[in-house]
Amino acid sequence: MRIERDTRRGRPISIRVDGVEIGSFEGETVAAAMLEQDVAFRRDTRGRDRGLFCNMGTCSECMVTLLPSRRRVRACITPASDGMELVTHG
Amino acid sequence: MVERFDIAIVGGGPAGQAAALQLVALGLSVAVVDEQLRPGGQILRQPPVGYAVDGWMTDRSYAPLRDQIARFEAAPGLHWMGGRSVLGLTVRGSDDFALTVSSPEGVERIESRRVLIAAGCQDLAVPMPGWTLPGVYAAGGLQAFLKSQRVIPGERLLLAGTHPLQLVIAAQTVGAGGSVEGVFFAQPFARMAAVMASAPLAAIGHVGLLLSTVSALRALRRHRVPVRFGMPVERVVGEHRVEGLVVGGKTYEGDTVGLCFGFVPQSALPRMAGAKIRPAGRAGGWAAVHDRWMQSTVPGLFVAGETTGVAGAPAAMAAGEIAGAGIALDLGVIDATAAERLASNARDRRAGHLRFAALLDAVADPRRSFPALEDDTLLCRCEDVPASRIVALIGDRSANAVKLATRCGMGACQGRNCEPTLLRLIDDPRDPGFTARFPARPVTIADLAG
Repeated sequence: MRIERDTRRGRPISIRVDGVEIGSFEGETVAAAMLEQDVAFRRDTRGRDRGLFCNMGTCSECMVTLLPSRRRVRACITPASDGMELVTHG
Repeated sequence: MVERFDIAIVGGGPAGQAAALQLVALGLSVAVVDEQLRPGGQILRQPPVGYAVDGWMTDRSYAPLRDQIARFEAAPGLHWMGGRSVLGLTVRGSDDFALTVSSPEGVERIESRRVLIAAGCQDLAVPMPGWTLPGVYAAGGLQAFLKSQRVIPGERLLLAGTHPLQLVIAAQTVGAGGSVEGVFFAQPFARMAAVMASAPLAAIGHVGLLLSTVSALRALRRHRVPVRFGMPVERVVGEHRVEGLVVGGKTYEGDTVGLCFGFVPQSALPRMAGAKIRPAGRAGGWAAVHDRWMQSTVPGLFVAGETTGVAGAPAAMAAGEIAGAGIALDLGVIDATAAERLASNARDRRAGHLRFAALLDAVADPRRSFPALEDDTLLCRCEDVPASRIVALIGDRSANAVKLATRCGMGACQGRNCEPTLLRLIDDPRDPGFTARFPARPVTIADLAG
């Protein structure tokens, strides 16, 4: 849930996660935008959904793959940018 | 690309800022590297540029930190390098250090005559059945979302652990319009009270911090948020997402869990540099050993803030001032008399803060409250290593040997989550834990090659 109280955000933008367009704001982290949509950050070796854990760049549970660079980044410390595209698998 | 500075500081929190301000004021060139885009550290994790938050962090206890960050952001000559992770630290001599740093554009190199590591701390990760379900968070991460991104993950939060910070996080959550289903302390209230009563003098100088806890309790009562003591968390329940939490034998419903058992220093870089470390405290982890100028056992490598043991932001700020004076002295920019004068006020403040930190460490002691692990509880979240594999293997093996045999600690977090638990299971005070390896943070191979 985005806190509305006392808060003015940056310009509305959108990003694509696994091919699905989701709304975000300039300055928001990829992780915050993904949490708003309840998207899993990855699946583990048992095929179970996994979420973000530490939100400070330490646990690396939130690593996603940016396209087209295929660069692996931690979603919790990566700011969203308009038109950004990423996938949650490999 | 190589950039050269007199001093490279890792971490733009209270300690790093304080040292940087001392050093630029003396005309030295200073670079401050931080993973966040804006300075502040976790304690003052700022909203993004372009956001405006009314009444942000106005609690009186934050005032000195806010004052310092304003001076830091306005300081001329400071080279701020936000959005960057330090992957490696090479000691080439007591006057010659090299940092490998990853940025969104690739990998950079920084060279400097001195290095200060003020890399902060992380939540102690406490495994329990169900803790890898989406919706389970380190409590500090939830607070960071509140402060900076202005997001409350989920609709119904349950907080559990042993650290009083969870009261503050719960109060901040309801204050921002969120809903908290309960705050559960594993330890009985009487035990916490007894610890407090045993050391009243240590607390006297820190009424501000105690008041934030008291005002948090009052806010939670007003919002009818249950706060329970003597209720150890046992497991998180849910099929694909969090559905509830079992605490003290009872199940509470909720869709989000914050675990709050205390904090451990970020110790990867001092360990990589070969600096001497010591067990950090009751929550586990490793703290860098230092002299009275905050110099580590590696000449030219300084350490300050939570890197030297978790003691809170005011202590970190004071330690940063001491480190700044110490580095200037070591570089020969000021003499011993001037350095003592620069550091003396900070030394007094730090001593007081450390006494309070020791008290808080005792109050929040997690050691009797760790949940029982089940066979399939994942101890290593990165490599999906279950507790049963590790327990069966330990015997007289070291942490490094268990890592080799099971991949526990080999994943992207570099053992930051699993090491304290593994060392607890090994239960050998001589085990130095995992050998710190390059890179300290995950990086794409192509970036390193480029």
